[in-house]
Amino acid sequence: MNRWTTLEPVKLHAPAASPLTGAPASRNPSQIPSTLPYIGPIPTDIHLRILEHVPLSSLPAFARASRATSRLLRDEGFWERKWRSLEVERCGLGGVLDDLEKKTTTQDKRKSSSAPPVLPVEEEDDFGDFTGAQAYSNPTNPAAVLNMHDVDNFIGLFSNASSQDPSKPSFRALYARASLLLTPLLAHLRSPPHLVLQNLFPALSAGSQYTFAQQAQTLHLLARFIFSANLSHATWLALRAAIDRFEANLLSVFDAADERRDEKGMSEAAHASWEVWELGDVAGDWELGKVWAEKREIFYESGQWDPLLNFSKDDTLRFDPMDEFMSHVIQSLSENGAIAKRVFPPTSRVLLAFADRIANEVVGEYITTLLSHAREISPEVFLQATAATFIQAWRIVDAVMDSVKLIRGEGSAGVLSTSNADKGTNEGSYLNRDQVEDIVYRMFEPNMDEYLDEEIESTKQALEIVCKGWDKQVAIEPSLSSDTQNTTARFLAYQNPAQVKRTLLASFTDALLIPVTIVPRTVGNMVVTGGSAAVYGITMLNPQRWGSAGGGSGKQYRAPAASAVLADGDGDGVVSPDVVYEEREREKKEEKEKVQVQDARASVSSITTTRPTSKTPSFDRLQLLLSLDVALEIIHADREALKRVETFQKYPGMYGHRVRDTIEELFILMLQTLGDRHVSPGFSRAMDQMKTYKPAEHEETSSVAPLMQFFELVHIADTIQSMVQVYFDKALAPHIDRTDFLNGVVREKKRFENALDDSVAGGLNTGTDVLMQQVEHIILTRTTAREYYPEDGTPLDLHPTKGCRESIACLEKHCSLLRGSTSKEVLEVFYQEVGIRLQAIIQKHLKRQIISLDGGFQVIADLNAYHAFISSLKIPQITADFANLKMLGHVFIVSDAKDLAQIVKDVARYGGSYRPEDIYEFIQRRSDWKKIEKEVDKTMYNLSFREDCVIC
Amino acid sequence: MVNLVTSDNESFTVEKAVASRSVLIKNMLEDVGESDQPIPLPNVTASVLKKVLEYCDHHKNEPMPTSEDLAAEDTRKRTTDIGEWDQKFIQVDQEMLFEIILAANYLDIKPLLDVGCKTVANMIKGKTPEEIRKLFNIVNDFTPEEEAQIKKENEWAEDR
Repeated sequence: MNRWTTLEPVKLHAPAASPLTGAPASRNPSQIPSTLPYIGPIPTDIHLRILEHVPLSSLPAFARASRATSRLLRDEGFWERKWRSLEVERCGLGGVLDDLEKKTTTQDKRKSSSAPPVLPVEEEDDFGDFTGAQAYSNPTNPAAVLNMHDVDNFIGLFSNASSQDPSKPSFRALYARASLLLTPLLAHLRSPPHLVLQNLFPALSAGSQYTFAQQAQTLHLLARFIFSANLSHATWLALRAAIDRFEANLLSVFDAADERRDEKGMSEAAHASWEVWELGDVAGDWELGKVWAEKREIFYESGQWDPLLNFSKDDTLRFDPMDEFMSHVIQSLSENGAIAKRVFPPTSRVLLAFADRIANEVVGEYITTLLSHAREISPEVFLQATAATFIQAWRIVDAVMDSVKLIRGEGSAGVLSTSNADKGTNEGSYLNRDQVEDIVYRMFEPNMDEYLDEEIESTKQALEIVCKGWDKQVAIEPSLSSDTQNTTARFLAYQNPAQVKRTLLASFTDALLIPVTIVPRTVGNMVVTGGSAAVYGITMLNPQRWGSAGGGSGKQYRAPAASAVLADGDGDGVVSPDVVYEEREREKKEEKEKVQVQDARASVSSITTTRPTSKTPSFDRLQLLLSLDVALEIIHADREALKRVETFQKYPGMYGHRVRDTIEELFILMLQTLGDRHVSPGFSRAMDQMKTYKPAEHEETSSVAPLMQFFELVHIADTIQSMVQVYFDKALAPHIDRTDFLNGVVREKKRFENALDDSVAGGLNTGTDVLMQQVEHIILTRTTAREYYPEDGTPLDLHPTKGCRESIACLEKHCSLLRGSTSKEVLEVFYQEVGIRLQAIIQKHLKRQIISLDGGFQVIADLNAYHAFISSLKIPQITADFANLKMLGHVFIVSDAKDLAQIVKDVARYGGSYRPEDIYEFIQRRSDWKKIEKEVDKTMYNLSFREDCVIC
Repeated sequence: MVNLVTSDNESFTVEKAVASRSVLIKNMLEDVGESDQPIPLPNVTASVLKKVLEYCDHHKNEPMPTSEDLAAEDTRKRTTDIGEWDQKFIQVDQEMLFEIILAANYLDIKPLLDVGCKTVANMIKGKTPEEIRKLFNIVNDFTPEEEAQIKKENEWAEDR
């Protein structure tokens, strides 16, 4: 024993181990500790571990080695593990044992009928009722030793360790029973391969043939027994061969039943086959299910359905053939699905595999051909076809789910009489919607990459085309502009521009809600002419088409046979039985919408076709630098793409992210195009043109043409922004978190709005310059030389001068134009700017004049008029400034020099706006200045050369 | 690198990946963290540890068996199958075999323990009680009556 002492634990337990191993046999068993940590060199738990791998037949020898080893084999835990590994309870195989027991006893009876029966045999030997007394005295047939009590007594003679409830057999007894029943069967495995099954399941003479289910379960149990008892690999291979043979038999039986349309036969064979198939740990498909699926007609019909029929002669799409095709596929799917559900065990998921095959082999092929052809034609057609085919393919999901539901409704009333029933027949637990959806998603995945890339690319191009078209239009516009001066309608001309905008936006919103038909049933001229615009609703929205496609003309392009609308507004593509009804409803709705759209068109077109009334043609097209028309086109092109992508929005996993990214990118693209390509250049061009405006070149004084048009521009920009907002709310908000300020879309939208605001502000800045130039120009040119120095005797009419009146009129007009188009803040800043600059202009102007006392009253009259105008703007700060300016007028009507000096010195009089020095400058403009200068100086500064000069 | 010191004071320096095949050492390293302190293995001798480390080195790139794997051990698997390399590896004298098993048990290297147990099980297969006693170096402490009884008790499992 000393050689084990090198091991630390052995050292520890060596005293305990040595008495056992070295103990004389005569030792009293009771003195041996009940649990010995070590038997020989290794502890008991490792012994037990070893025993797990020892073949059953070698265990008795191990038990007989010593007391300690025999105790190990009485361990209930060991036998429990053994018993559990048979999985009799879990797989419902108890019946097999009972059947075997019955058979052996009857055989036994027959055999022993020649000999005198030893003991009466109880026939109703149930599992769990082991009271029957049985011949245990027949050692030649161990299988006869079946009675549990006997076995228990027999094997548990001194098993005090397992003091079990006598009514419940010990695991060891259970295992022994199974072993005794199954071992004889193993002998058959040694017979020639082709006889194994016959020997295992001899035809019962009484006519009671083994059912397939029984055979399958027996094989199942045998396999488990072989593993659990650690029998030789050869045994397993023999059984495996038998199982393969059995499966092959089942397959032919199944096939035959299938041909007879004998669903019961099919079901039996299928269930039995599944039972044994589950055994093999071979990965792969279940042969029987595969064969069944393979034989479905649907897989051999591909020639009948030509995907290219979906293209009409002019290379546009018409999906009626695909409709038919899908209906056919779905019909086949639900028919076969119903059969599959009745025939196959739910765990086998044959229905799912079948749907998968259909999706990939039939529908997938169809779609691939269709798409590759579409790709050849044009990107637009490809995009459209992709979205449309996806929606079509999606019908599979509903079809499968419907057939599942349908069958579930029929109940589990059963073809399956066997123990499979307790495995749960609720298909729902084995087949949920996600799995079915996954099939379609997986099937479609190969197309997604290209589609998403193409979608963005094509949208980019579409937007580019719109912008280029616009640029070109702008370029040639001047030549057209001269003859279009009759139109007067525009925002500014309306009594209430805000109201007009609201109506316009309402129409726009309605138009956005028009459902997009993703699956084109019909092809009309509109599609051809519209290029990218293939969708009817969208076409209606496109203002350029309104003229030609308005009215009822759209309807004639709709095929009355269009059976189902697959995409409704929210793009989830649910097909419901009442689509036809919906279709009709929708048409009605569309009629209504058409009217609304036309309202919108009326307002839009009247605005977009507006030409300014100004007589200066060079500024005519300023307002046309921005066009609602173009904005609408851009939004529509984008919306179309967006709606297409939305079809895929529920895509899971990586592609789901990509789809959402694409949606965001599309919107961002639109914002960028609208902002960078349309609004910003429009504004900057407008600004350039305003800068070139020279007041002197224009006769008209009351209005500054470019400014007017710029304000018009602001209105349009405001409308565009509102449209973007509406579009964002309606189309994009569901996809993103609007409060997430880090989101790309939200940021881009913010950027767009900021850019727009900047443009408006920059424009206003330039506009203010222009306006004030104009005002200065008016004041300069309209003020005659002696305006404030009337010749004596001229009767005073204390009205403001002509220049004053005209400039105020001009200012008033422009200031009111802006109301309602920009925010209050912008407006206030604008007004304030106007006020400050006006003040500067007036001061400058006054300093240029020579003002007599009489003229002073005229000055006051003018200043009063300016003040009144400024007050109407309601900006407190500049109102105060002008009040002070008004006070300034007084200095021109005071005749007495001393009084004048007092007034000049009285700083409080002017609210702090003017220092005495400033006033002093003004009074120098008096016509009598030379006369009063000295007096004023003296009074003001208390100095006179004569009195105060120290030098003199 | 990890420094291991055996009961006979021999020290082994091995990669962490190799040492971590032993759940015992792995847990220790996780608890202690990186340190140059040698890890004492008082229950393992140098000759055995060398052998064990050979096994660990060969299997260092395999995924560690998770607790789930151990719980749901597949009963369908041929439990007596041993890999080719392992089979060669475990061809050692009986004494060493038991020591490896004990070391694997102590160091908590489940796959190695399984290999050892399976090998022993194969040795038990088809042996008489006397041969088994010899194998484990135990003595027959049965009275003749007891032995008869035990024989009867387990008769059902014998080969027929």
